[in-house]
Amino acid sequence: MNGIVVVGLFDAVDPAAAAARALRALPLPEGDVTTLSPMPLPDGAVCTDPRGIGFPRVTLVGWFVGALAGLSLALGTYLLYPLITGGKAIISVPPTLIITYEVAMLGALAGTVIAGFREMGLCRFRTRLIHDPRIQEGKILLCARVSGDEEAKRAMEAMKSAGGIDVRPEEGEL
Amino acid sequence: MEIKWAMAIDLDRCTGCGACVVACVAENNIPVVGEAEVEKGRLMQWIRVARYWEGEHPEAQAVYLPVPCMQCERAPCETVCPVYATYHNEDGLNAMVYNRCVGTRYCGNNCPYSVRVFNWFDHKWEKPLDEQLSPDLTTRSRGVMEKCTFCIQRIRRAKETAAAEGREIRDGEAVPACVQTCPPGALLFGNVADPHSEIARKLKDPRRFRLMEHLGTEPRVVYLKRLKGAGR
Amino acid sequence: MNGSDHLSRTDPGALYRELSRSNLPVTKKWWLGMGLLAILALWGIGCFVYMMKTGMGVTGLNRPVMWGSFITSFVFWIGLSHSGTLISAILRLTNATWRAPILRGAEALTAFTLMVGGLFPLIHIGRNWRFYYMIPYPNSRQLWPNLRSPLMWDAVAINTYLLGSLTFLYFGMIPDLAIARDHATGWRKKFYTVLALGFRGSHNEWRRYHVASTIFAILIIPVAVSVHSIVGWDFAMAKVPGWHSTIFAPYFVTGAIFSGIAAVVIVMATLRKVFRLERVLTVVQFENLGKLLCMMSLLWGYFYFSDFLTVWYNRNPEEWEVFRSYAGDFLPLFLVMILCNFVVSFPLLCMRRVRRSIPALSFVSLLVVIGMYAERFLIVVPSLARRNDPFIWHDYFPSWVEFSIMAGALALFLLLYTIFTKLFPIMAISDIQEHLFHTSDRKIGGVTVESIAMPHDTGKGGHG
Repeated sequence: MNGIVVVGLFDAVDPAAAAARALRALPLPEGDVTTLSPMPLPDGAVCTDPRGIGFPRVTLVGWFVGALAGLSLALGTYLLYPLITGGKAIISVPPTLIITYEVAMLGALAGTVIAGFREMGLCRFRTRLIHDPRIQEGKILLCARVSGDEEAKRAMEAMKSAGGIDVRPEEGEL
Repeated sequence: MEIKWAMAIDLDRCTGCGACVVACVAENNIPVVGEAEVEKGRLMQWIRVARYWEGEHPEAQAVYLPVPCMQCERAPCETVCPVYATYHNEDGLNAMVYNRCVGTRYCGNNCPYSVRVFNWFDHKWEKPLDEQLSPDLTTRSRGVMEKCTFCIQRIRRAKETAAAEGREIRDGEAVPACVQTCPPGALLFGNVADPHSEIARKLKDPRRFRLMEHLGTEPRVVYLKRLKGAGR
Repeated sequence: MNGSDHLSRTDPGALYRELSRSNLPVTKKWWLGMGLLAILALWGIGCFVYMMKTGMGVTGLNRPVMWGSFITSFVFWIGLSHSGTLISAILRLTNATWRAPILRGAEALTAFTLMVGGLFPLIHIGRNWRFYYMIPYPNSRQLWPNLRSPLMWDAVAINTYLLGSLTFLYFGMIPDLAIARDHATGWRKKFYTVLALGFRGSHNEWRRYHVASTIFAILIIPVAVSVHSIVGWDFAMAKVPGWHSTIFAPYFVTGAIFSGIAAVVIVMATLRKVFRLERVLTVVQFENLGKLLCMMSLLWGYFYFSDFLTVWYNRNPEEWEVFRSYAGDFLPLFLVMILCNFVVSFPLLCMRRVRRSIPALSFVSLLVVIGMYAERFLIVVPSLARRNDPFIWHDYFPSWVEFSIMAGALALFLLLYTIFTKLFPIMAISDIQEHLFHTSDRKIGGVTVESIAMPHDTGKGGHG
């Protein structure tokens, strides 16, 4: 069941910021007010993002998982199946370090991709997402997630009085 | 008894005749690549007789150095092969697995003695020359490295015979083609781990040296220095 | 115009049209160009198949020079791939404000040069159809690759770097694909919709996007350094005189960055000309690239001199014979290298006039690219041609098959790059828009200067 989101187009940052202030005074929680913009706006210019960013931890986890995989490849397989060449030891430390390091970086990369994409909310193809292609003309779409018609009406009024164009309720997710 | 194959090359006796090279080519199914290819540097000889000149004309003297595969204890070719196509076997030989070779040629680059040769083309033996091929070993396809194996097929044959007769292999039973053929008897082959073998005795000679020893490859081929003096 | 209030200093629609000229529908000239490149690439592929069926003997390789133009090309192309990484990653991390217009082109350069470079290990092996022996896959014959071989380190490292670069390229493109999606119609709209993964530019998305971009940039730099160090170690691990040098790892990385920046200059100058991007790819970008190129030329010269000095001073016979050949049989190539990389390039690059002139800088970059190919060749071949045993010394010259494959590889790269520019946004539109948004004019006394805002993410931001 998709939620109701009130959206409004704004021409410039200042009116959008004023509208956002009014919305937060309604009151609406900070996490429910956000913008869609063609380029990133500084945090706090119009709205803020109270949720912490957690996926860098997965990068670290990915690094260690990759390191373990690399170690198993370079060290583990040789311990299991030893083969003598050139008078050198079965377990060679420098090549093991090299392979471990490379696969560790691959693991960190994979971790960042997977966790980062998830936390950004990409690849949600089956959800109906709020979007307006007119932001590419340089406009900001201010979005407010509301619960109920009463709140929706007050949000629409706040946006209209701050100078919003085409203020309307939409069904979808932020 | 432990087996450690080694070869002794007495440079006092070597005349540079090249019979060892011919014997090796005949024994090991080595193709004859032709003059054009030799010009391009694709000569396929598992043992080569390198010739160096000492002194200036007209006193210049030729020095001959037969160079087979050194079968190094710490072979630089073994560690760099990405697919383990070359390894060290229990007899202390550097063994080559033709089927595994993918032809990166890193081993050929890493051999300081440049004893490894590469099959640049497929080779055909036109009839009736194909009847001279030894059935004890393969002919190699294009893209595969090959090198002197101390005639491992002869070693294996001697070991099998000895095992069938229920005894140890005796000194002089396993003889590579080059050693067998050398007219002045400059080449000697045997098991240095056997204290009674001829080679163990020969290697007590104070003239002994190994090629490019400073590289740390620990070769199994020992040379005996040519002594100069009256009549030489 | 009040820059701090409006979202962009120019009309965004016009900006998009200007930056996305490469994505316009194909013309006859485009098909002609692609056709020529395709023919050249197919010729190269055909020569490769011929070589595979006949044997490596159709090349100029021999004993002892068992590695020649293919390995040279391999090192060269992998070296070129260090362009994008260094530009995007390092410039991103150091917050260089001039980087936005060259980001995408450089990242694409990295990805495609890596792909082409990664072909050469498959091309140069004797039994190419058995290449999978180098992959560690479970099999019933208890066979496993030898991970102590530097060639296997190559395989792992280049794999990691390729995946990393492609991720970097794709991830950097997501906001631009979203912009393209919003502007496109027809099959392109569907294409971009799928690729943009639903990116809409919400505040949450942007914040996390920045963090992820930074993390990728931090991750890709050590990978890039390690990759070319490992390529250098292919040589340094060998018992070949002239190869067995401890300086090879940093020397190769430096050479890679050097040739990479030169490649970026050439590619950017070409894009600027072809797609009329003069307003975006300005003299600022090229001058800064020129400064980087100047520094790298000096650094390369320093490393080369260091390598030469130790050998020259010691006169170790094995190594000295290799270096002596630079004054003998390899003199022409040596002169090309030293002139193109340092003697001609460095003084030119020191001149502000050269750095600020795009044709002059492109010419110097072309010299550098040629000089670096000569340098790679001089690393690989003389050491093998004049190695330990003088009896088997032999010269090497590439055959027509090798030249064809080299040309085919270049054609393949150009083909891939051209298709990329046609299908994908070649300019980092969102980065450029972001830069323009932060830039405003500020009046200080009697002059008006450009002022760039530098917002930083506080985590829990205050209210506007």
